[in-house]
Amino acid sequence: MSQPTGPGAAGATPPRASVVTYKAELRKAIRRNAHDPEVNFLNITAMLDIMTIILVFLLKTLGESSAAVPQSDDLRLPASVIKTQPHQEGVLVTISKTQILVGDDKVLSLPGRESLAQAGVDARHKRGGPNDLFIVPLGNALMSARKTDVAVRRAKGLDPSSSEAIIIADKNTPYRLLIEVLFTLGQSEFGKYHLMVIQSKKLGG
Amino acid sequence: MSLTTAQRGKIRRLSQPRELSPDEEGGELNIVPFLDIVVNILIFVLATVAVTFTASIETAPPASKGAGVRAEIPQEALNLTVFIVNDGFSLKAAGGNIAPGCQGTGSGIAVPKVGATYDYATLTGCAARLKGSSPEFADENQAYITANPGTDFQTIIAVMDALRATSAGDVLFDNINFKVSR
Repeated sequence: MSQPTGPGAAGATPPRASVVTYKAELRKAIRRNAHDPEVNFLNITAMLDIMTIILVFLLKTLGESSAAVPQSDDLRLPASVIKTQPHQEGVLVTISKTQILVGDDKVLSLPGRESLAQAGVDARHKRGGPNDLFIVPLGNALMSARKTDVAVRRAKGLDPSSSEAIIIADKNTPYRLLIEVLFTLGQSEFGKYHLMVIQSKKLGG
Repeated sequence: MSLTTAQRGKIRRLSQPRELSPDEEGGELNIVPFLDIVVNILIFVLATVAVTFTASIETAPPASKGAGVRAEIPQEALNLTVFIVNDGFSLKAAGGNIAPGCQGTGSGIAVPKVGATYDYATLTGCAARLKGSSPEFADENQAYITANPGTDFQTIIAVMDALRATSAGDVLFDNINFKVSR
Protein backbone atom coordinates (compact mmCIF):
# COMPACT_ATOMS: atom_id res chain seq x y z
CA MET A 1 0.00 0.00 0.00
CA SER A 2 1.30 3.28 -0.94
CA GLN A 3 0.64 6.58 1.00
CA PRO A 4 -1.29 9.24 -0.82
CA THR A 5 0.98 12.01 -1.76
CA GLY A 6 -1.15 14.25 -3.94
CA PRO A 7 -2.52 17.61 -2.94
CA GLY A 8 -5.99 16.24 -2.35
CA ALA A 9 -4.81 13.51 -0.06
CA ALA A 10 -6.25 13.26 3.48
CA GLY A 11 -3.98 14.78 6.25
CA ALA A 12 -2.10 17.00 3.86
CA THR A 13 -1.16 20.49 5.22
CA PRO A 14 -3.10 23.27 3.59
CA PRO A 15 -1.08 25.64 1.51
CA ARG A 16 0.48 28.56 3.42
CA ALA A 17 -1.15 31.95 2.92
CA SER A 18 0.90 34.58 1.27
CA VAL A 19 2.87 37.07 3.33
CA VAL A 20 0.52 39.84 2.23
CA THR A 21 -2.51 37.97 3.53
CA TYR A 22 -0.69 37.12 6.75
CA LYS A 23 0.24 40.75 7.42
CA ALA A 24 -3.25 41.94 6.60
CA GLU A 25 -4.68 39.43 9.06
CA LEU A 26 -2.15 40.47 11.70
CA ARG A 27 -3.03 44.16 11.31
CA LYS A 28 -6.74 43.32 11.59
CA ALA A 29 -6.14 41.27 14.74
CA ILE A 30 -4.09 44.04 16.34
CA ARG A 31 -6.83 46.55 15.56
CA ARG A 32 -9.45 44.21 16.97
CA ASN A 33 -7.58 43.59 20.21
CA ALA A 34 -6.51 47.17 20.72
CA HIS A 35 -8.54 48.97 23.36
CA ASP A 36 -8.26 52.31 25.04
CA PRO A 37 -5.84 52.32 27.93
CA GLU A 38 -7.67 51.84 31.19
CA VAL A 39 -7.81 54.77 33.58
CA ASN A 40 -6.56 52.84 36.55
CA PHE A 41 -5.50 55.92 38.47
CA LEU A 42 -6.51 59.58 38.37
CA ASN A 43 -3.69 61.95 37.61
CA ILE A 44 -4.24 64.59 40.27
CA THR A 45 -0.71 65.94 40.37
CA ALA A 46 -1.70 69.16 38.62
CA MET A 47 -4.59 69.75 40.99
CA LEU A 48 -2.37 68.99 43.94
CA ASP A 49 0.15 71.55 42.72
CA ILE A 50 -2.53 74.21 42.53
CA MET A 51 -3.99 73.40 45.91
CA THR A 52 -0.63 73.37 47.64
CA ILE A 53 0.22 76.76 46.14
CA ILE A 54 -3.16 78.19 47.23
CA LEU A 55 -2.66 76.79 50.73
CA VAL A 56 0.83 78.25 51.08
CA PHE A 57 -0.39 81.58 49.71
CA LEU A 58 -3.34 81.72 52.12
CA LEU A 59 -1.25 80.78 55.12
CA LYS A 60 1.33 83.42 54.24
CA THR A 61 -1.34 86.11 53.75
CA LEU A 62 -3.04 85.16 56.98
CA GLY A 63 0.21 85.21 58.91
CA GLU A 64 1.27 88.61 57.62
CA SER A 65 -2.06 90.37 57.88
CA SER A 66 -3.41 91.94 61.02
CA ALA A 67 -6.33 89.59 60.71
CA ALA A 68 -4.15 87.38 62.83
CA VAL A 69 -5.10 89.44 65.87
CA PRO A 70 -5.67 86.86 68.55
CA GLN A 71 -9.18 86.97 69.93
CA SER A 72 -9.45 85.88 73.52
CA ASP A 73 -11.30 86.87 76.65
CA ASP A 74 -8.44 89.23 77.41
CA LEU A 75 -8.61 90.97 74.04
CA ARG A 76 -11.72 91.31 71.91
CA LEU A 77 -11.75 93.91 69.17
CA PRO A 78 -14.68 96.30 68.87
CA ALA A 79 -17.01 95.97 65.89
CA SER A 80 -17.41 98.65 63.26
CA VAL A 81 -19.31 99.06 60.00
CA ILE A 82 -16.23 100.54 58.30
CA LYS A 83 -15.08 98.60 55.23
CA THR A 84 -11.53 99.87 54.76
CA GLN A 85 -8.61 97.49 54.51
CA PRO A 86 -6.63 97.17 57.75
CA HIS A 87 -3.44 99.20 57.77
CA GLN A 88 -0.29 97.07 57.86
CA GLU A 89 2.54 99.52 58.45
CA GLY A 90 3.24 100.88 61.89
CA VAL A 91 4.23 100.11 65.44
CA LEU A 92 1.78 97.74 67.07
CA VAL A 93 0.38 98.89 70.42
CA THR A 94 -1.93 96.39 72.12
CA ILE A 95 -4.22 97.30 75.02
CA SER A 96 -5.78 94.20 76.51
CA LYS A 97 -7.81 93.96 79.70
CA THR A 98 -4.72 93.24 81.77
CA GLN A 99 -1.69 94.67 80.01
CA ILE A 100 -0.23 97.03 77.43
CA LEU A 101 2.19 95.72 74.82
CA VAL A 102 4.39 97.45 72.28
CA GLY A 103 5.05 94.97 69.48
CA ASP A 104 5.35 91.68 71.35
CA ASP A 105 6.86 93.15 74.50
CA LYS A 106 4.80 93.74 77.59
CA VAL A 107 5.38 97.21 79.02
CA LEU A 108 2.77 97.53 81.72
CA SER A 109 0.28 95.50 83.76
CA LEU A 110 -3.10 97.13 84.16
CA PRO A 111 -5.27 97.26 87.28
CA GLY A 112 -8.99 96.43 87.23
CA ARG A 113 -11.43 98.27 84.99
CA GLU A 114 -13.01 100.30 87.82
CA SER A 115 -9.68 101.84 88.71
CA LEU A 116 -8.79 102.44 85.04
CA ALA A 117 -12.13 104.10 84.33
CA GLN A 118 -11.59 106.65 87.09
CA ALA A 119 -7.97 107.68 86.86
CA GLY A 120 -6.40 105.53 84.16
CA VAL A 121 -3.06 103.89 84.83
CA ASP A 122 -1.58 104.01 88.35
CA ALA A 123 -0.19 107.43 89.29
CA ARG A 124 3.25 105.93 89.91
CA HIS A 125 3.53 105.15 86.20
CA LYS A 126 2.60 108.70 85.19
CA ARG A 127 5.04 111.51 84.57
CA GLY A 128 3.28 114.18 86.64
CA GLY A 129 0.86 112.52 89.02
CA PRO A 130 -2.59 110.98 88.69
CA ASN A 131 -4.02 113.67 86.38
CA ASP A 132 -1.21 113.46 83.86
CA LEU A 133 -1.84 111.52 80.66
CA PHE A 134 1.73 110.45 79.90
CA ILE A 135 2.47 106.81 80.81
CA VAL A 136 6.23 106.64 81.46
CA PRO A 137 6.91 102.89 80.80
CA LEU A 138 4.91 103.09 77.58
CA GLY A 139 6.73 106.28 76.58
CA ASN A 140 10.11 104.59 77.11
CA ALA A 141 9.11 101.57 75.03
CA LEU A 142 7.75 103.83 72.30
CA MET A 143 10.96 105.86 72.19
CA SER A 144 12.93 102.76 71.33
CA ALA A 145 10.25 101.62 68.85
CA ARG A 146 10.34 105.09 67.29
CA LYS A 147 14.11 104.84 66.72
CA THR A 148 13.67 101.58 64.87
CA ASP A 149 10.70 102.94 62.95
CA VAL A 150 12.66 106.01 61.82
CA ALA A 151 15.27 103.72 60.26
CA VAL A 152 12.56 101.58 58.67
CA ARG A 153 10.75 104.61 57.26
CA ARG A 154 13.99 106.06 55.88
CA ALA A 155 14.76 102.74 54.22
CA LYS A 156 11.30 102.67 52.69
CA GLY A 157 11.55 106.26 51.50
CA LEU A 158 8.76 107.47 53.82
CA ASP A 159 8.71 110.68 55.82
CA PRO A 160 10.62 109.90 59.05
CA SER A 161 9.41 113.00 60.92
CA SER A 162 6.49 111.12 62.46
CA SER A 163 5.57 107.47 62.87
CA GLU A 164 2.31 105.59 62.63
CA ALA A 165 0.86 103.27 65.22
CA ILE A 166 -1.64 100.46 64.95
CA ILE A 167 -3.79 100.34 68.07
CA ILE A 168 -5.29 96.98 68.95
CA ALA A 169 -7.51 97.66 71.93
CA ASP A 170 -10.05 95.56 73.78
CA LYS A 171 -13.63 96.71 73.23
CA ASN A 172 -14.11 97.36 76.94
CA THR A 173 -11.06 99.62 77.23
CA PRO A 174 -12.17 102.75 79.10
CA TYR A 175 -11.89 106.10 77.27
CA ARG A 176 -9.50 107.41 79.91
CA LEU A 177 -6.94 104.66 79.28
CA LEU A 178 -7.33 105.00 75.51
CA ILE A 179 -6.67 108.73 75.69
CA GLU A 180 -3.64 108.17 77.92
CA VAL A 181 -2.17 105.72 75.42
CA LEU A 182 -2.93 108.01 72.46
CA PHE A 183 -1.50 111.01 74.30
CA THR A 184 1.70 109.09 75.13
CA LEU A 185 1.96 108.07 71.48
CA GLY A 186 1.55 111.70 70.44
CA GLN A 187 4.31 112.77 72.82
CA SER A 188 6.56 110.05 71.37
CA GLU A 189 6.34 111.48 67.83
CA PHE A 190 3.61 109.18 66.59
CA GLY A 191 1.32 111.37 64.50
CA LYS A 192 -1.17 108.94 63.02
CA TYR A 193 -3.07 106.07 64.58
CA HIS A 194 -4.99 103.19 63.09
CA LEU A 195 -7.60 101.78 65.42
CA MET A 196 -8.14 98.11 64.63
CA VAL A 197 -11.73 96.91 64.54
CA ILE A 198 -13.62 93.88 63.33
CA GLN A 199 -15.97 94.46 60.44
CA SER A 200 -19.61 94.10 61.31
CA LYS A 201 -22.87 94.76 59.48
CA LYS A 202 -24.59 96.28 62.48
CA LEU A 203 -23.77 99.65 64.04
CA GLY A 204 -22.52 99.27 67.57
CA GLY A 205 -21.58 95.63 67.11
CA MET B 1 -5.31 30.45 0.58
CA SER B 2 -6.11 30.43 4.24
CA LEU B 3 -3.78 30.90 7.16
CA THR B 4 -2.08 27.94 8.70
CA THR B 5 -2.42 27.07 12.38
CA ALA B 6 1.06 28.32 13.05
CA GLN B 7 0.29 31.61 11.34
CA ARG B 8 -2.93 31.98 13.31
CA GLY B 9 -1.08 31.29 16.56
CA LYS B 10 1.57 33.84 15.71
CA ILE B 11 -1.07 36.44 14.83
CA ARG B 12 -2.87 35.78 18.12
CA ARG B 13 0.36 36.18 20.04
CA LEU B 14 1.49 39.33 18.31
CA SER B 15 -1.88 41.07 18.38
CA GLN B 16 -2.20 40.98 22.21
CA PRO B 17 -1.83 44.47 23.75
CA ARG B 18 1.47 44.94 25.43
CA GLU B 19 1.30 44.92 29.24
CA LEU B 20 2.85 47.96 30.90
CA SER B 21 5.69 47.29 33.24
CA PRO B 22 5.21 48.53 36.85
CA ASP B 23 7.62 51.38 36.15
CA GLU B 24 5.48 52.64 33.30
CA GLU B 25 2.18 52.33 35.11
CA GLY B 26 2.85 55.12 37.61
CA GLY B 27 0.48 56.06 40.42
CA GLU B 28 1.98 53.73 42.93
CA LEU B 29 2.35 56.66 45.39
CA ASN B 30 -0.82 56.82 47.43
CA ILE B 31 -1.42 60.49 47.86
CA VAL B 32 -5.08 60.26 48.84
CA PRO B 33 -4.46 60.76 52.61
CA PHE B 34 -2.22 63.72 51.83
CA LEU B 35 -4.93 65.15 49.60
CA ASP B 36 -7.48 64.74 52.40
CA ILE B 37 -5.30 66.70 54.78
CA VAL B 38 -4.61 69.46 52.26
CA VAL B 39 -8.30 69.85 51.43
CA ASN B 40 -9.22 70.00 55.12
CA ILE B 41 -6.59 72.62 55.88
CA LEU B 42 -7.66 74.63 52.85
CA ILE B 43 -11.31 74.67 53.94
CA PHE B 44 -10.34 75.52 57.52
CA VAL B 45 -8.11 78.42 56.42
CA LEU B 46 -10.77 79.79 54.08
CA ALA B 47 -13.44 79.58 56.79
CA THR B 48 -11.20 81.30 59.35
CA VAL B 49 -10.27 84.12 56.98
CA ALA B 50 -13.92 84.75 56.14
CA VAL B 51 -14.88 85.12 59.80
CA THR B 52 -12.28 87.63 60.97
CA PHE B 53 -12.29 90.50 58.57
CA THR B 54 -10.58 93.42 60.24
CA ALA B 55 -10.45 97.07 59.32
CA SER B 56 -8.74 100.14 60.71
CA ILE B 57 -10.03 103.62 61.52
CA GLU B 58 -7.58 106.47 61.23
CA THR B 59 -7.27 109.17 63.82
CA ALA B 60 -4.76 111.68 65.18
CA PRO B 61 -3.35 112.51 68.62
CA PRO B 62 -5.97 113.76 71.07
CA ALA B 63 -6.28 117.44 71.88
CA SER B 64 -6.49 118.51 75.49
CA LYS B 65 -7.97 121.66 77.00
CA GLY B 66 -9.58 122.50 73.68
CA ALA B 67 -6.24 122.98 71.99
CA GLY B 68 -4.33 120.56 69.86
CA VAL B 69 -2.69 119.74 66.60
CA ARG B 70 -5.81 120.19 64.48
CA ALA B 71 -5.87 121.80 61.11
CA GLU B 72 -6.93 125.41 61.02
CA ILE B 73 -10.66 125.71 61.30
CA PRO B 74 -12.37 128.57 59.47
CA GLN B 75 -14.60 130.94 61.39
CA GLU B 76 -17.76 129.63 59.79
CA ALA B 77 -17.01 126.01 60.66
CA LEU B 78 -19.55 123.82 62.43
CA ASN B 79 -16.84 122.47 64.73
CA LEU B 80 -19.05 119.65 66.00
CA THR B 81 -18.15 117.95 69.26
CA VAL B 82 -20.00 114.92 70.59
CA PHE B 83 -19.87 114.33 74.34
CA ILE B 84 -20.63 110.74 75.28
CA VAL B 85 -22.21 110.95 78.71
CA ASN B 86 -24.09 108.45 80.82
CA ASP B 87 -27.52 109.65 79.62
CA GLY B 88 -26.79 109.86 75.90
CA PHE B 89 -24.98 112.15 73.47
CA SER B 90 -24.58 115.82 74.15
CA LEU B 91 -23.67 117.80 71.04
CA LYS B 92 -21.92 121.12 70.81
CA ALA B 93 -21.46 123.08 67.61
CA ALA B 94 -20.29 126.57 66.67
CA GLY B 95 -23.64 128.07 67.72
CA GLY B 96 -23.56 126.47 71.15
CA ASN B 97 -24.99 123.42 72.83
CA ILE B 98 -27.59 121.57 70.73
CA ALA B 99 -30.98 121.31 72.47
CA PRO B 100 -32.72 117.99 73.03
CA GLY B 101 -34.35 116.69 69.86
CA CYS B 102 -31.57 118.28 67.81
CA GLN B 103 -33.64 121.44 67.31
CA GLY B 104 -31.81 124.74 67.84
CA THR B 105 -29.57 125.52 70.75
CA GLY B 106 -30.23 125.02 74.40
CA SER B 107 -29.13 123.04 77.40
CA GLY B 108 -29.71 119.32 77.82
CA ILE B 109 -28.82 116.05 76.14
CA ALA B 110 -29.33 116.35 72.37
CA VAL B 111 -29.67 112.62 71.75
CA PRO B 112 -30.76 110.83 74.94
CA LYS B 113 -30.48 107.10 75.45
CA VAL B 114 -33.37 104.90 74.41
CA GLY B 115 -33.88 102.65 77.38
CA ALA B 116 -30.39 101.56 78.33
CA THR B 117 -28.81 101.84 74.90
CA TYR B 118 -27.33 104.73 73.01
CA ASP B 119 -29.37 105.94 70.03
CA TYR B 120 -26.83 105.88 67.17
CA ALA B 121 -29.41 106.29 64.38
CA THR B 122 -30.71 109.55 65.86
CA LEU B 123 -27.13 110.76 66.33
CA THR B 124 -26.49 110.17 62.63
CA GLY B 125 -29.67 112.04 61.75
CA CYS B 126 -28.73 114.93 64.04
CA ALA B 127 -25.20 115.16 62.59
CA ALA B 128 -26.65 115.14 59.06
CA ARG B 129 -29.13 117.88 59.97
CA LEU B 130 -26.39 120.05 61.53
CA LYS B 131 -24.10 119.57 58.55
CA GLY B 132 -26.91 120.43 56.15
CA SER B 133 -27.96 123.51 58.11
CA SER B 134 -25.58 125.73 56.17
CA PRO B 135 -23.86 125.33 52.79
CA GLU B 136 -20.63 126.48 54.46
CA PHE B 137 -20.48 123.21 56.39
CA ALA B 138 -20.74 121.03 53.29
CA ASP B 139 -16.99 120.48 52.96
CA GLU B 140 -16.36 120.04 56.67
CA ASN B 141 -15.39 116.49 57.53
CA GLN B 142 -13.83 116.92 60.95
CA ALA B 143 -15.61 116.28 64.21
CA TYR B 144 -14.52 115.62 67.78
CA ILE B 145 -15.46 113.07 70.35
CA THR B 146 -15.04 113.32 74.06
CA ALA B 147 -16.42 110.92 76.61
CA ASN B 148 -16.72 110.06 80.24
CA PRO B 149 -13.56 108.34 81.48
CA GLY B 150 -15.41 105.05 81.87
CA THR B 151 -16.93 104.96 78.37
CA ASP B 152 -15.90 101.76 76.65
CA PHE B 153 -14.01 101.61 73.36
CA GLN B 154 -16.89 99.86 71.57
CA THR B 155 -19.20 102.83 72.21
CA ILE B 156 -16.57 105.24 70.90
CA ILE B 157 -16.13 103.22 67.71
CA ALA B 158 -19.92 103.07 67.27
CA VAL B 159 -20.14 106.88 67.64
CA MET B 160 -17.37 107.26 65.05
CA ASP B 161 -19.37 104.99 62.74
CA ALA B 162 -22.56 106.98 63.37
CA LEU B 163 -20.84 110.27 62.58
CA ARG B 164 -18.97 108.97 59.52
CA ALA B 165 -21.85 108.50 57.11
CA THR B 166 -25.60 108.26 56.85
CA SER B 167 -27.32 104.94 56.26
CA ALA B 168 -27.72 106.02 52.62
CA GLY B 169 -23.94 106.30 52.34
CA ASP B 170 -23.57 110.10 52.35
CA VAL B 171 -20.32 111.03 54.05
CA LEU B 172 -20.75 113.30 57.07
CA PHE B 173 -17.63 113.46 59.24
CA ASP B 174 -14.96 110.93 58.29
CA ASN B 175 -12.16 112.64 60.19
CA ILE B 176 -12.89 112.05 63.86
CA ASN B 177 -10.49 113.14 66.57
CA PHE B 178 -10.56 112.78 70.31
CA LYS B 179 -10.69 115.54 72.86
CA VAL B 180 -9.91 115.38 76.53
CA SER B 181 -11.80 117.51 78.97
CA ARG B 182 -9.74 118.23 82.04
